[in-house]
Amino acid sequence: MSDKVVKQSKDLDHNFRYEISEKVGTKSLLKCIQCGVCSSGCTVTEYVDLQPHRVVASCLLGLREEVLSSNAIWTCSLCHRCTERCPKNVDYSFILALLRNLAVKEGNVPIEYSATINTIYNNGFVVPYTGGMKTTIDRRRNKMDLPQIVGPNLDEIQFIIRETGLGNLIKKSEEDEK
Amino acid sequence: MMEYALYLGCTIPLKMPHFEKAFREISKILGIEYKEMEGAGCCPDPVATQSLNIDTWLTLGARNLAIAEKLGLDIMTVCSGCFETLKTVHVLLEEDKAAFDRVNTVLSKLGIEYKGTSKVFHFAELFSQDEMLEKIKSKVVKPLDSLNIASHYGCHLIRPSKIMQFDHPERPESMDKILKAIGASPLEFAAKLECCGFCARLQDEIGMNLVEEKMTDLKNLDKEVDGMVAVCPACASQYDRKEKLVSRKSEKELDIPVLYLAELMAIAFGVDTAKLSLKQRSVKPTKLMEKLKI
Repeated sequence: MSDKVVKQSKDLDHNFRYEISEKVGTKSLLKCIQCGVCSSGCTVTEYVDLQPHRVVASCLLGLREEVLSSNAIWTCSLCHRCTERCPKNVDYSFILALLRNLAVKEGNVPIEYSATINTIYNNGFVVPYTGGMKTTIDRRRNKMDLPQIVGPNLDEIQFIIRETGLGNLIKKSEEDEK
Repeated sequence: MMEYALYLGCTIPLKMPHFEKAFREISKILGIEYKEMEGAGCCPDPVATQSLNIDTWLTLGARNLAIAEKLGLDIMTVCSGCFETLKTVHVLLEEDKAAFDRVNTVLSKLGIEYKGTSKVFHFAELFSQDEMLEKIKSKVVKPLDSLNIASHYGCHLIRPSKIMQFDHPERPESMDKILKAIGASPLEFAAKLECCGFCARLQDEIGMNLVEEKMTDLKNLDKEVDGMVAVCPACASQYDRKEKLVSRKSEKELDIPVLYLAELMAIAFGVDTAKLSLKQRSVKPTKLMEKLKI
């Protein structure tokens, strides 16, 4: 978001800050003093369209659309230095996770992320462990004299993923495959 | 007797079983026993799952923790990503009663109850405690005193410290203490605490640049660096794979072998190298092995 954004007050989402800060881990949003410590220590600061302190400022200002469509919220490497160093204990790591959740609800989800939950849904693991892959892995482990893997009950994993609200992502990817 | 529920995660048992082998070998020597967490699934991974839906992440995590609770044991993790997820789930659900109830509402439909009774550890935490360091020292049969080793702590092992509650978030010592206990000389270098970039999924360039930065820093030291150790399979594979790619692109010769800390410990404990797969990586630790005559 390098372009200047001009918005009328009526076009801002004044509730956005509360939508975020009502959650236990993200109340701290409201304490930000815009000192910029988060951005100066940020691992990916030179790669994002919106640095951490500006993401927070944008949330406070009500720039919902700009925040949720920014690449910044997905570029983060999760090094957690921002959260560690913040003098006001703003938990940027958790705020960012919540912003990603909100973006997902609006249909903004990079394939790199949705693919992972599909792999977990179908295998119980983030690594494919079915069919030929399973045979290869089991053989290799056997050769090393390692115990047989007793994987999860997939029905349980799939139930949890659907029940907690990610059923749509799974459905979408199944449709895409068709 | 020390006994834990062993949580292996996905990447180590399925993609890097040689790390698991080394870990099980050193555990045996240290007298640590495990119960396998049968039925456990992905932790789930702290990057994608948490990003997509925090409740999915918490609930799948609590399901894994409940398996250890049934065994009546604390949990040993061998990957920083798993450690971050499981420890965060444990701490967060203790603090957030509403989330605790939401998670249990879903789990109860599967006949599972999450109580929060099993603590979560990463082996780097347990092994760096004074008593364990003494024990580690006592098991060394092949001191690595000829080796200069860089430790890569990574991010999720130590931050955010209010959750991980272990080691210093910006001046950590645990891995270096373990390296000293097996006789190696840990290195100080400027990029020591830099992130590996594995979790920055959208731009490959980020990981490439971070790997180049850290490895170049090590190459520029006035000592010869014999290897780097990691305690997370994602960090280890990120450096190992990208070193060659960076070398090709930049005409630098980045050739520092990356080992899992348990592998180096296994060498020091005299584990038969036929049981370890030390050459199973892009950058082979050939020089290091020659130096140790193994």
